[in-house]
Formats: sequence, C-alpha cells, structure tokens
Amino acid sequence: MERVIVCVKPVPDPKVWDRLRMDPVTKTLIREGIPSVVNPLDKHALEAALEIKDTYGAEVVLLSMAPPDARPVLREALSMGADRAVLLSDKAFAGSDTLATALILAEAIRRIGPFDLICCGNYTLDGSTAQVPSQVAEFLGIPNIMHVAYMGLEQDKRLVITQKIEQGYVKIAAAPPLLLSFTKEANKPRFISFLEILAAEKREISTWTNADLNLDESLLGLGGSPTKMADMLLREKGRQGLRLEGSPEEIAHQLANKIGQLGFI
Amino acid sequence: MDFKLGEREELLRKSTREFAESEITPRIEAMEETGEFPLDLLKPMAKLGITGLIAPPEYEGVGLGYLARTIVLEELSRVCAAVPMGMQVHHMAIACLNDFGTEEQKKKYIPPLSRGETMGCVAVTEPSGGSDVLGMQATAELKGDKYILNGRKCWITNSHTSDYWIVIARTGEGPKGLSAFIVDKDAPGAKPGRKEHKFGLRGANTGEVVMDNCEIPKGNLLGQEGGGLGVALKTVSESGRTGMAAVALGILQACYEEAAKYASERVLYGKPIAALQAISFYVAEIYTQLDICRLLCYRASWMKDQNMRFDTESAIAKSYTCEAAAQCAKKAIEIHGANGIALEYKVQRLLRDAMVTISAGGTGEIGKVVVGRAALTPFMKKG
Amino acid sequence: MGEPQIWVFIEQRRNVVHDVGLELLGKARELADAAGGRVAALLLGDGVLPLADTLISFGADIVLVADHPAMEPYRLLPYTQVLAEACRAHQPDIMLFGATSLGVELAPRLAARLKTGLSAHCIDLQLDADSLLLQMVPGWGGGVVATIKTPEHRPQMATVMPGVMKKLQPAPRSGQVIPFTPSEDLDLSGPQVLEVHREEPQELPLETAEVVVAGGFGVGSPEGWKLLEGLARLLGGAVGATRPPVDEGWASEEQMIGQSGKTVRPRLYIGVGISGMSHHVVGMDEAEFVVAINTDPKAAIFEVADLAIVGDCREIIPLLLNELRGRVKPS
Repeated sequence: MERVIVCVKPVPDPKVWDRLRMDPVTKTLIREGIPSVVNPLDKHALEAALEIKDTYGAEVVLLSMAPPDARPVLREALSMGADRAVLLSDKAFAGSDTLATALILAEAIRRIGPFDLICCGNYTLDGSTAQVPSQVAEFLGIPNIMHVAYMGLEQDKRLVITQKIEQGYVKIAAAPPLLLSFTKEANKPRFISFLEILAAEKREISTWTNADLNLDESLLGLGGSPTKMADMLLREKGRQGLRLEGSPEEIAHQLANKIGQLGFI
Repeated sequence: MDFKLGEREELLRKSTREFAESEITPRIEAMEETGEFPLDLLKPMAKLGITGLIAPPEYEGVGLGYLARTIVLEELSRVCAAVPMGMQVHHMAIACLNDFGTEEQKKKYIPPLSRGETMGCVAVTEPSGGSDVLGMQATAELKGDKYILNGRKCWITNSHTSDYWIVIARTGEGPKGLSAFIVDKDAPGAKPGRKEHKFGLRGANTGEVVMDNCEIPKGNLLGQEGGGLGVALKTVSESGRTGMAAVALGILQACYEEAAKYASERVLYGKPIAALQAISFYVAEIYTQLDICRLLCYRASWMKDQNMRFDTESAIAKSYTCEAAAQCAKKAIEIHGANGIALEYKVQRLLRDAMVTISAGGTGEIGKVVVGRAALTPFMKKG
Repeated sequence: MGEPQIWVFIEQRRNVVHDVGLELLGKARELADAAGGRVAALLLGDGVLPLADTLISFGADIVLVADHPAMEPYRLLPYTQVLAEACRAHQPDIMLFGATSLGVELAPRLAARLKTGLSAHCIDLQLDADSLLLQMVPGWGGGVVATIKTPEHRPQMATVMPGVMKKLQPAPRSGQVIPFTPSEDLDLSGPQVLEVHREEPQELPLETAEVVVAGGFGVGSPEGWKLLEGLARLLGGAVGATRPPVDEGWASEEQMIGQSGKTVRPRLYIGVGISGMSHHVVGMDEAEFVVAINTDPKAAIFEVADLAIVGDCREIIPLLLNELRGRVKPS
C-alpha cells in the first residue's frame, strides 16, 4: 500500500463542553476560549493508517476542512506520525452541510492523488451526523465500510474488516481503494513521542482554497448545501420541578406513590 | 523577554499529560502500598522519549533541553511525583556521563539509559552527610589497573533499579581529593544495601549502595582523578536542582487543581465553599505560589538551555518550589476539611510527597547558603 | 406542493423487521394523513415478500419490494443501487431511514448518489403549509432545537433514532404490494460479507425501555450500582449511565446515555447521583416524567426534572426499594 489519506476534524475539547454556549443572535457556537482537539475518533483512524505505514511504508496524508486556526490541531496529528497535511480553508466552504463538505473533501482527495485507503472517524463529536464518510466514498466511486471495530491486514492488500452492529458484528472482506470509518474499539491510538514532535515540526501543512479545487461555488457553503438551517429555538423545558421534602423515609414513600400512580408498580 | 511557550512545548506537555493520566494513574495504588517503582513503565516511557529526553541523539537520546525536561517532569509529577523523581535522577546520570565521560564511556553507558533498559543513579550522600560533601568517607584506591572502592552511600534514588551507579569517593585529601566512578552493579564487591521506607514519593526507589572492596576497571574513572567535587556540584546544581524543582512544581499544580475542584463542588450553607472569601483566598494563594514557582523553574531551565551560569537561579527554584509545594499541600488539605485527611483523597499524598522533596537533592538550608553567597558577594569588601 | 409521497426504508435482518421501520411508518402515516399524501415502505431482502402485509397494517399504502437473493445479506452498494433506482423511477418527496448502524451507512450514501439533503438523528418531523418537511434536530447545549429544511433537492431525507417515533396499532388496511426489479444489473463486486454474528440482547434495550434508571458518579460505589440495577429490575426497566460510571467500570459503554451515547425517551426516567451536564441531558430530556436525586440543590439535572429530590441516593434508594417491594402485586 502506498498512500493512506486520513480525514481529521478539529472539534471543541470535550473536557470543556459544559462551557459551550450558543450565541442567541447568530445561532452559532461561541468558539472563543474553547480549545480545539483532534476529533477523538479521528485518532483511531490515524492509528490505523499509521499501522499501515509501519507495515507497508505507506505515506499518510492528513486532510482537514477547517478554518486556518486548525493548524495546531493538524500539527498534533502530524506528531502522531503522519507525513504531511492538507488544510482546506476558504470562506466559500463555510456553512457547508455534509453533502457540500463531502464534495469538497472528495475533490481534494482527487488532487492529492492516487490512494489505497481513506480513514475517517465514525462520527465527529460536534456534528455527530456520521454522514460525511459515506458521502465522500460515493463521490469518489469507492466502497465504504462504517463502524469499523477492527481492521485486519491480509496478504495482497486484502482486508478483513469487523464491523460493529447492534448486538453483534459483521465480518467483511474488502480491498483497496476503500474508505473506512473507525470506532474506538478498533485500536489504541499511540502516544505522541517526543521524537515525532520534533520531526513533525518539519512536515508540511499546505493550505488549499477553492482556487486549488476549482469547484462550482454554487455547490459550496451555506448556499450550496441542500439542507438549510431554518430556525433555532430554545427548547421549552415544560418541567414541573416539584420538590419532594422530608426525611429520607418520607421521600421514599412519596416517590413510591408517584411511581405507582404512573403505573409502573 | 518572551514568556510565551511554543507549539513544541505545548505538544510535549499534552503528550506527557495524556501518557501520565492513562498509564501512571493505575499504578499509584501499588506504588503507595509497596514503595516499588513500576519498572514496566520504563519501556513505554522510553518510547515516548522520557528516558532519553536530554541525551544527545548520537547516544539514542531525543536531545531536548532543560525547559522541555522541566515541562515533562512537571506533567508526570502532576499525576504522581514518585515517577519523575526516579526519572530526574536518571537524567542526572545521563548529564553526568555526557559532561564528564570519555567517548568510550558515553557510548557504553548512555544508550541503555536512553532506551530505558536500566535506570540511572548518582550516589553522593553518605551517613556522614549529604550537605557535608567533603566529609564523605567512601574511598577509592588505585591498585594496578583497578580501583578498589570501599564505602556506603545512603538515601540514593534508583539504588536498586540501576544497573550501574555513578559514585563519588575519596582518592586523596581535601577538595581536590574526590573522584567520580562508574560502578557496575555486578562488579565484585558491589551491591545495593537496605531499602528506605519513606512516607512520601513512595514509588521512588531509595536505598543504599554498598561497596566492600569493590573492584572496578581503571577505565571507569569518570572525569579526572581529583575532579569529583566538580562532577558532583555540577550534576547536583544543574540537572539535580532543576529536576527536583520540576517534581515539586507538578505537585503544586496538583494541589491547585484539587483545591479548586473541591472548593467548587463542596456545598455548605447552600453554596459551593469557593463562594466563601476565605476559601477563595486560599485558592488564590495556592495559584499565586504556583505561578511564582513555574516562573522560577522555567527561568532556571531556560538559562541552562542558553548555556548561561544559573546555579543561583536553580538553587532559588529548588528551595522555593519544594517549600511552596508543602505549604500549598497543607492549605489544600485544610480546604478539604475532614476529607483532607482521608486516604481516599489524593490531597494527603501531595503533602507527603512535597515534604520529601524538601530535603532531597539539596536541603533548603544549603539552597540558602548558595543564594546567600551570591546575594552577598557583590557587596563583600575585598581583602 | 400537496400530496407528499413519503417513503420509509424498512430495515430487516433475517426477515425480522426492525421496529424503527414500523415507528417511521407510524410517523409517515400521521404526516401523510394531515397533508393528503401517501406512504410507501421500501423492503429489500430475500424471501421478504410475506412481510409486506404487516407493513401495510402498520401504515403503508404501498410496499415496494425488491425480493432477490442478491439482497441478502445487506450490502451497502447493491442496496444503494436499488434504492437509487427506485427513487429515480418514482420521485418520492420524502425518504426516512432509521438511524441504526445500517441506516447511518446507507442513507448518506444514497443521499450523495441522488445529490440531495439528509439530516441526522431527527427528534421530530413535521410538514409545513407547503408540505415541506421540517426536520428537528437537537442543537448545542441540549436546550436548543434546530429546524432543518431541504427546500429544493429531492427526496428530502432524514434519519431518526429508534424509539423516537411511535408505531401505530396494527390495523387491517388495504394497500398495494409492488415488486420492484432494478433495470440495471446489480453490481455485486465490492466488499463481501463473510459472516454476520448477532448475540441475544442481554438486557432490555435502553432505547425502547419504558423505564430507565440512570446513575451517575453520585451513586458512589459498585454496591450502590447494584441497588440501582435492583430498582430497574423491580420496575421492569433498563439501566443507563453517564460517563463516570462507565469509566469506573460499574456500567458498560452501551449503557451510556447522552450526546455520545444513547438517546432514550422512556415514560419514566429516574436519574440518580447525576449532575445533569448538557451532554447527558440531550440523551434523556425527552423522557415523559423525570425524577432526579442529587445531594447538590444546584445540580443542573433539576432543571429538567419533574420531581426533584435533594438528598443522598445511598440513603433513599434502599428505602425506596422497600416501599416498592411492599406494593408489588402478587402475579
């Protein structure tokens, strides 16, 4: 195998999620002061790619569609061992839904060149749609497999994939070119070694805009997305918020009554 | 003056923190109970680059500087100070070999340390004293093509986990009568002695190194005969003090986090206790000490990386940070109320660990002797 | 733009229809009835024709069936090909998928092939005055609902988590069963299924449980957790968890409720020792009746609780268990 492309997305650090706030006016997330990290599942995708690099000497290229401030996150991913990174940054991309995003990523992948495998995280922590991997694969005309819980490398570039499904798994035989989305069961991402941090300082992060992709702008961004955000409403809580008072015995008694009332006992 | 840390330092910190939280946290309970160093962590630490951090690349090291080392030790210590205690002495051995060894000695003894195959050890202190270096009684006599060493070193970190020790012993009289030697653990007449049972830094192996007519090859003299005092002083004042300071700094960081977390969660009088001004002042004091010590530690390490003379600054960093860590741990315990003295809570270990750092690698008083000399020298009248 | 054609993909494995397809038929029926439209069920498999009548009884006007050996087992590319062709032939307005592991793979691929819009994990679906599909999804922080529309592209596609919509009571209804054969040759190259392995579910699946007893860090210990499990058993419910109990090893990852876990909509949710961080709350705040027990009067969980109990669950749960046991009717 010669080249593996890994899609990486910077997301707000889950450790500080309880600090995330919506701007009530613009209806977008307030990102100031919120550190970004590599989407955790993308690290599992990257680990799989690095295992292929360790076994076959393949080149591992990171691809990310994000604002320019994503560079430190890409540098961190490069420090895991990837060879170079391509950052797609353009105002025209902003506000893209999954279809437009997939279009952009697929075109960038075409311009990176021939590849054996594309590795993605199964979903991102912030969007969580899990739609982009299948859509990128469709635009590239290659098969994709989601929920990869294990990637087994066989002879002659063949792969045996264990796909996690509800209450079980499916074993699938596949061959490159292929797109795989990884779950966290797939592997344990390697720690970033200090030697890699030093080596990664010299690795290239190229920034591409739509000028490099030459995509029809009417298919990009907010305007090009088939799905449109129409409204954002604060959910009506509508909860009674009744406080139960008294000793623990009294509380238990009242609660048991209520449970009986609801018909559960 | 640029106080900003670069992307490299941030990544070193992040990587070490993730490693420490994931791999060291599960070992803490066993370390506290047995006092044994988790030797199986050496290989993963080598893989990360911790064991060979300051070793030059030609001896399989990473070749990073002292600021990087301080950050890495600090992050390890934030989780459990015993592990970086062992590692900082390990680095001292590497620094010592690198500064004073012949090419042959460096090629032989540094790579196994870089690779984490064994731990490094520097043995200076004796029952006669650590502060009183010139009072040491271990002897080394040249007989033919061997040195015969006799003596006993105590309170030595990594005494039992090292395959070879760097030992200072007397070859002559006076300050120019000390020499440094590399002693292989399986040299005839050499063996580790008793293990110490400390109330803090429990996972750090501390014990005796015993030489009873111990025979080592002549070629294991490290540096010049009679140059041993210089070897000891440089190693202790440079890598030793900055290493200890970094260990104490990590403990201080943990004190701050535990105190702030507890104060924000514990509810009394219907509010978190952080809403009480007295408690918020305690946390502010801890935070201030943390900031001061971080600046001291980073500044001293930075000076070493610039090849500046920094023994005063390292003495200030070491003595101040270890003392501050103990004081802040005490405050953090008090903020926890009764929970502060419960073994289930982390904060009691922070005080025990901090107390042990105060006298390790140079007492606070010796630190003040060094600083006092530097402070007074410009004002001393000549003659 | 009236009379919307609403399609529902019916997931089946080994000729057992996944509940989510029936739930979506229920919703599609409701939307179609209000707007004068029609509901079609899309059924792919081998030997699945007999299932068509059930689908009609659950609300389908039409069942389009691709019954063919090549449709078993499910494979992403052949399924995408068949569905794409059906969509191009019949031009549905709306197409709904369950957000199962299969749906989450298939729906986006199909949406990309048809170059149309898809919204994920909708918590509600409505039609506006022009019969445009309003797709409601959770917004940031959990307290927010976003409405998504696909004004121009067709079909308007959406996925919905199991347990969010409600099945109708099956009733005798009339409907049409139309076998569908793809006009092109099926492309059967591509990844091959070697083995499908399914385990019997150990416990009641969380997503469809009527009662969920969920625990957080405040439960305190594995012993405390066992009491919680006892409570769930007594009420015939399932046990859920926030992240800390999973990290502690008291609960499994599969039991985690929240933004990166499961979404539950039980009739009764009892949250024990849970602080109520928004990434948990998104996973449960659609529960019909919420009881919360926490020592912290300011805990965020109380903002979404119908019954708020400020107290120590380690005292209250054992007392509650006694009270409830005293009321269990002998069966």
